Amino acid sequence: MAGKIIADTIETGAGADISTSFVVNGSLKAWVNLDGTGTIAVLDSLNIASVTDDGSGAYINAFTNSFNNVNYGWNMSTMNNASSNKAFIAGLRVSTTPTASQLQTSIHQNETGSADRDFVCTSAFGDLA
Amino acid sequence: MNTPDFKGTHLWDRLCWAKERLDPVQSDYRVVYEDSVDECAKILVADPNWMACALQGGILPPVWVYHELAKDEASEGFKRHTRGYLLHETEPVEAMTEEEAIEYLILKDCPRHVWENYNEGNRPKMIICTKKQLPQTREWRNAWKISEELNIAA
Repeated sequence: MAGKIIADTIETGAGADISTSFVVNGSLKAWVNLDGTGTIAVLDSLNIASVTDDGSGAYINAFTNSFNNVNYGWNMSTMNNASSNKAFIAGLRVSTTPTASQLQTSIHQNETGSADRDFVCTSAFGDLA
Repeated sequence: MNTPDFKGTHLWDRLCWAKERLDPVQSDYRVVYEDSVDECAKILVADPNWMACALQGGILPPVWVYHELAKDEASEGFKRHTRGYLLHETEPVEAMTEEEAIEYLILKDCPRHVWENYNEGNRPKMIICTKKQLPQTREWRNAWKISEELNIAA
């Protein structure tokens, strides 16, 4: 890399200090936005190597830079369906546990079960390996 | 664009460098595999930013690094990775073709028991195809299987 700034704290214009470790540890380490309809396609991402279509509304997100352990944080969201007024629930896939290198997620619609959606957003926070 | 000498640079920093500078590459290839006879076929798609890194070269670690980390994670009592430095300090791989990148991704992200003997047994467990060869709608998605009529050259 061309240059390096070494700093323990960052100060805002208002004079508030924050440790750079807050920034490093609190930053999103992986995210992906994919189209889960038709033949699934990744719209944009960071630190994702591949996404696997694992059936209706089910995905395996594989990281390029693995996490340090399996206890990293994650969240997921998708687009609701205004016409049917039914809610979609997006999160960790049932009966799976995250690994340091992969996160399995799924989307369910109330009453009807698993569902494919146009915008499927997943993100993960934590320490990288 | 030339890739900086990234050996020793944290992989995360390399990915951020690539994200800012490289155009994403949407691959037309899809890897279809069956992990279990009781489950539907899975379809792996390469991430376009990752594919850009693979084609650029000098960014991604060799695939054996991921296998070493997987071994660590499978070991009894695993709490956290202690050999993450392999991702950052191993000499990055040179530029790959799109086909080589897909092979790399199979070795990285498909289960070992699938790619080790994908073409043995009564029916193929894995195939590489193009997007247009897949069903264009997701009807009966949870029942999709690799056709037994496929004739795959080894």
